[in-house]
Parts: sequence; structure tokens; C-alpha cells
Amino acid sequence: MLLVKLAFRNIQRQRRRTLLTLLSMSGGYALSCLSLSLAEGSYKNIIALFTTDHTGHLQVHLDDYLQRPKVYKGLTDSVETRQLITSLPWVRAVAPRVFAPVLAYAGNQHTPAQLIGVDPVLERQATRLADKVQQGQYFDSEPSPDNRQPAMLGLRIAQSLNITVGDDVILISQGADGSVANDIYRVDALVGTRDSWDSRNVYLPMEAAQEFLAMSGRVHEYAVMLHDIDQVSRVAATLQQRLTTLTIDTWMQVEPTFYSSMETDKRGNRVSLLIILFIVFIGVLNTVLMSVMERTNEFGVLRAIGSRPTKIFQLIVIETLMLALISIFIGAIVVAPLIAWFTLQGYPLPDPIDIGGIKFKHMLGDFSAYVFVAPMIIILTFALLVSIPPGIRAARITPTRAMSNL
Amino acid sequence: MHDSLLDPTLDPTLDNACSTLTKMLKRLRSTCGRTVLTGLLWTLSVTHAASEDLTNPPAIATDTAAQATVQATVQTQAHALIDQMEALYRGKTSRARILMKINTPQYQREMSLSASSQGVDDFFIRILSPRREAGITTLKLDNEMWNYFPKIDKIIKVPPSMMMGSWMGSDFTNDDLVKETTLSEDYQLSLVETPEQYVITLLPRTQTVTIWGKIEYVIDKRHLVPITQHFFDDRGELVRTLNFSHLKDYNGHLRPSQLEMKALNKPGHSTRVIYESLEFNPDDLSTDVFTLRNLRRRQQE
Repeated sequence: MLLVKLAFRNIQRQRRRTLLTLLSMSGGYALSCLSLSLAEGSYKNIIALFTTDHTGHLQVHLDDYLQRPKVYKGLTDSVETRQLITSLPWVRAVAPRVFAPVLAYAGNQHTPAQLIGVDPVLERQATRLADKVQQGQYFDSEPSPDNRQPAMLGLRIAQSLNITVGDDVILISQGADGSVANDIYRVDALVGTRDSWDSRNVYLPMEAAQEFLAMSGRVHEYAVMLHDIDQVSRVAATLQQRLTTLTIDTWMQVEPTFYSSMETDKRGNRVSLLIILFIVFIGVLNTVLMSVMERTNEFGVLRAIGSRPTKIFQLIVIETLMLALISIFIGAIVVAPLIAWFTLQGYPLPDPIDIGGIKFKHMLGDFSAYVFVAPMIIILTFALLVSIPPGIRAARITPTRAMSNL
Repeated sequence: MHDSLLDPTLDPTLDNACSTLTKMLKRLRSTCGRTVLTGLLWTLSVTHAASEDLTNPPAIATDTAAQATVQATVQTQAHALIDQMEALYRGKTSRARILMKINTPQYQREMSLSASSQGVDDFFIRILSPRREAGITTLKLDNEMWNYFPKIDKIIKVPPSMMMGSWMGSDFTNDDLVKETTLSEDYQLSLVETPEQYVITLLPRTQTVTIWGKIEYVIDKRHLVPITQHFFDDRGELVRTLNFSHLKDYNGHLRPSQLEMKALNKPGHSTRVIYESLEFNPDDLSTDVFTLRNLRRRQQE
């Protein structure tokens, strides 16, 4: 306690130097927090966008369907399996899907497309498909009067075939049993924009898609949405234990290129911040050394009257750590409102950035423990490290050598 | 091995004779009843060969003129055999009821078809079952092929790029159905005779583009029906094998009732074709069947 009081008094002795040191450290802290917040925020935003758009937080497949999709690799869709998934408290929604590459024909035109069979009700709960309908009506499970099943087309498909809501579209593909899949559907809605992810998709109600591909009772995928995306790994592990015959793929495995580039970017960001803080602390080292050198006589006297070297060492360390803590406090007070604004409002971008068809109008931040605590730990660690050499130096002062300068 | 000996390109006049003969035969075929004429020619070549005493080469084998005659005869024999095999299930016209069983590691499928043919150039297939594919029809006229899908009411011509694609998901390609009768024109043949079999090796002619690098045709001597066909790619690797088995009498004609195509490049994939019935020159088969119009019609042929 005495040391703490002494340390506190000591740092007030050279007001200007203390203030400048505080400023540089709190500046470093604030900058680190802001940088981490913006990076985390932006990525969280992107991830939230594509997981709610079509990926889901995790996906359930048969074997290696994710790496080698084949129409015949369908898993049996049963009430039991679905219940096994929905019974977990973290799970918000489950949506089954069926996929196949098809040729879409209309009139004299034809174009390749991706067929996606969805359950209209469940898909609406899980993803934003229903919100992406630009023209026409999102299909429901009711049969139509003319016995044609409804289809929803991505914009590029509709444009290539020169058709719109109300027209017929022919789909040809190969079924899961090798037979020729062919049928006519009525276009009920157009989905998305020219550049959105779904621009080359054709959506069919699940049963129509299963009938088309001769795979009744089977689906290729369950897309699972959670209440909290941060629980993804834990839920994946739990599900894998329950569904031993199936493969659970988290969104990180579904979008591996995005995930690895994101991790690389974050890592690069962290390295830059470390370098900046390192430079800040070289300055702090200089300051602490200076203050030690100045007080050589003082330490000599202290040693002469019986202070242990360890105590002197501890004094220097506590002084530096105290400076660090105060600057963290100041930095946090300054940066917290700023980060809060970024998280809740976001900085409006003059030029919206387009990443994978998703438009970003705001640069968002993240207000989380990681953003504030990680730089704090780094700074305290650096402060500790930086105070050791001067501390040892001070502790080694011999009274005679010191006072020979008096 | 015997290529140099039997290579018709070495002697252009003989080659001309061979191809003219084949072409004449083809023309006559379509008007006169192919099998009969081929059988006649075959008998002629056999007797000719017998008189030449092929099985025991004559003492004057070194004489070039005799050699040439030997070559020519063996070539003709080989050509005749191949042509005969290729037209085995045709007549002037024919009609068959076929069961096709497709086998893969992922699924098994069975289709019931009715197939009609006119000469060697035209045929018409209608899928009768399963219900999902019933009514799908295929028409081939010469080298062109069309498919019709009743559910979408669309006639789609099979473009050259899709010729190597499988027919209806089986191990038979579109090309198998379209090109199969020009084997004797596109390939040069060499014949090896054993007491039980004729083994004919087909190698592509130098000026021709062919799909297969080599085909080995094994024919049963006694019944004059094929036993096996081996298909090799241009690197000499065996790609697929077609086995003929279960000889059956179809109104006096002895034919293998089962064909099995095994794809060796896709393990576990095979297609079996079973001829449940086979009629040669049925009275009630009109030429109307072999028209694009007929693709859309719903009745049975």
C-alpha cells in the first residue's frame, strides 16, 4: 500500500511528462479499440448478411455433399431428424433444401440455372428469401388451378429467357435415379437483383422439386439458424453427437474462402496494431528510463536508509502500470461513445461497397468485451515489460555510487 | 500383327473393290432384304476361301498376287461378318420389346421400351414404363437423332456435342444408337480365326475420326452371333465391354436375348438390355413411324 501511495505521488512530480506519457498510451489504446471494433463490426455484418440470406448458421448434409455435391446424395427427411435439431435451445429455425443444376427453357431460349427446392413456410422463417421477391408473389404451398407448380426466378434467368411473372418455364435435368427430369412451371415471382447471389437460381416448392428430381422424401441439406451466431461451434459439436450418420458443416466450412480471408485480414490488423503499440511503448520506455536516471540520488538515499532492492524495483513497475491503467481508463472513456455510435448507427459510406451481391451502406462497429479487453491486456503486458529494465537498473543502484554525484 | 498383310491401303485397287462392294451391298440391303444377301455373300466368301484353302496357306503364299487375293478375301470376310453382326437385330424392318436394366452404385432403374427399325438407318424407340418416363420417344434418321418429352411437349434434337452423352442415363451413348452401323466403313479390319470363334480387331482408318481407338469383336462361329465387344480408347485402355448371352429363337432367328454393357471406367455401372420379343419384317409396321410427327403421337407402334 505504501508503494502504491509512493508511486502515485511520484508520477505527479513531473506533471508534463506524465501527461504526455498518458496521452500517448491512451491514444494507442483508443486507436486499437476503434480499429478492432470496426474490423469486427464489418465482418459480423457481412456474416450476418449472408447467413440470413441463404447459408444459415450451419448446414446438415449427407457425407461429403458439401465438397462433392451430387443429386443422388440426399439424406432422408424425417420428422425425427428435424426434431432432433429443433429440440436444441439455441436453434431458431430449420429449413430443408434440394439442389440441382438444370437447363431452363422458354420459347427458343435456354440457359443453365441452379434449381433450389425450398419449403415455403420454413424457408421464410429461416432466411430472407421472402423479402427478396421483387415482382410477383412469394409462393405458398397451395396448388394452382391449372395444375402447374409455381416457380420463382432469379433476375438473370428471367432476363436471359425474356420471361416474367405469369409466363411458363421449362426445366430439364437429370434425376437422382438417372432418369431425365423434365417439367413445366409457372413463374410466380422474380427474386433479387442482377448481381445478387440468387440471380441464377430457380426456386421451386419442396415437393415439386423432389418430384422433379425423383427424390421424394429426401433432401440435400438442412439449413439451421441459431438465436446467437457465436454459439455456432458449440451447437455444431452437440448436433454432430446427436446426428451420427450425417455431416454438420458450420458457416465457416460452408464459406471457407471468405472465412480464411477474413481471418487473415484480422490477423494482419492485429499485427499492425501490435507494431503501433510497440512504437508507443518505446517512447514509454524512454520516459521511464529518464525518470529513473533523474532519481538516482533519491534511490541511493533510499538504499542507504535500508530499502530493499526488490521494493525499489516494484516501485518502478507499479508506477508504470499505474500510468498504463490511468491511460486505459481515459482512452476507454474517450472511445466508448465513438464505438457505440459506430455500432448502433454506423458511418454512412459515400460509395456503398458491394461484397458478394450484398450492399454495404454503413461501416459498422462492434461493442464487445473483446474490443476493449484485448488492447487492455496488451497494453498492461507491454507496460510491465517496459518497466522491467529500468526497474532492475534502479534496484541495482548502490548508495555509494549514487551519492558520489551529490 | 497382321496389319501389313491385310492393310487394304497398301493396294488401292483392292481397297476400292472392297469399299465399292460394301457400298453396293448397302444399297442392295435396303431394297432386297439385307440378311439374305449378306448370308449369300458370306457363303460365297466362305466357299471362295475354302477354294483358296485359307486355313492351310498354299505353297505359293509368297507370291504377291496370291497374297493379294488372300488379303482381299479375308477383308471381305471380315467386313461381311461385321456388317452381318451389326444388322443382327434389324431386318428390312423390325420391331422389338425391350427391357433395359440400369445399374449403378447409387441407383437401379428398369425401363420397358418398344423399338422399331427400318433398314439400318432409321429407328424409333418409345419408353413404355416407368410412368415417370412413359411416352418419351427417340427417333433416329441416318445420322440425326431427336428426343421427345411429353411432359413438356418438346422435341429436342441431339446435337453432335451430346452424342457421347448417355442415352436416358444408361451406359449406352447416343452415338451407340446413331453411328453403330458404319463400323465397316470407318475402321480397318483384321480377322483371326479359332476353331470356335472369329475375333475381328477394328482399328480406325487413317483418314477417319473415330471415337474408339480399337474395338475387339468376338463372334461365335457356330451360330454366327456376337459374344463380346471390347471398346478401347486411343491410349489402348479398355473403356467398356458389351457381352451377348442367352441365345433365344425369335421366329426361327437365333439371337442373343441379353446384352450387357459394362463401363470399366465407372466401376459398378452396367446396363442390361433384354429382348423380350423380336419380330423381323412385321406386316403392320408403316414407314410413318419413322417421322418427326410420330414422336409426338401417343399410341403404340
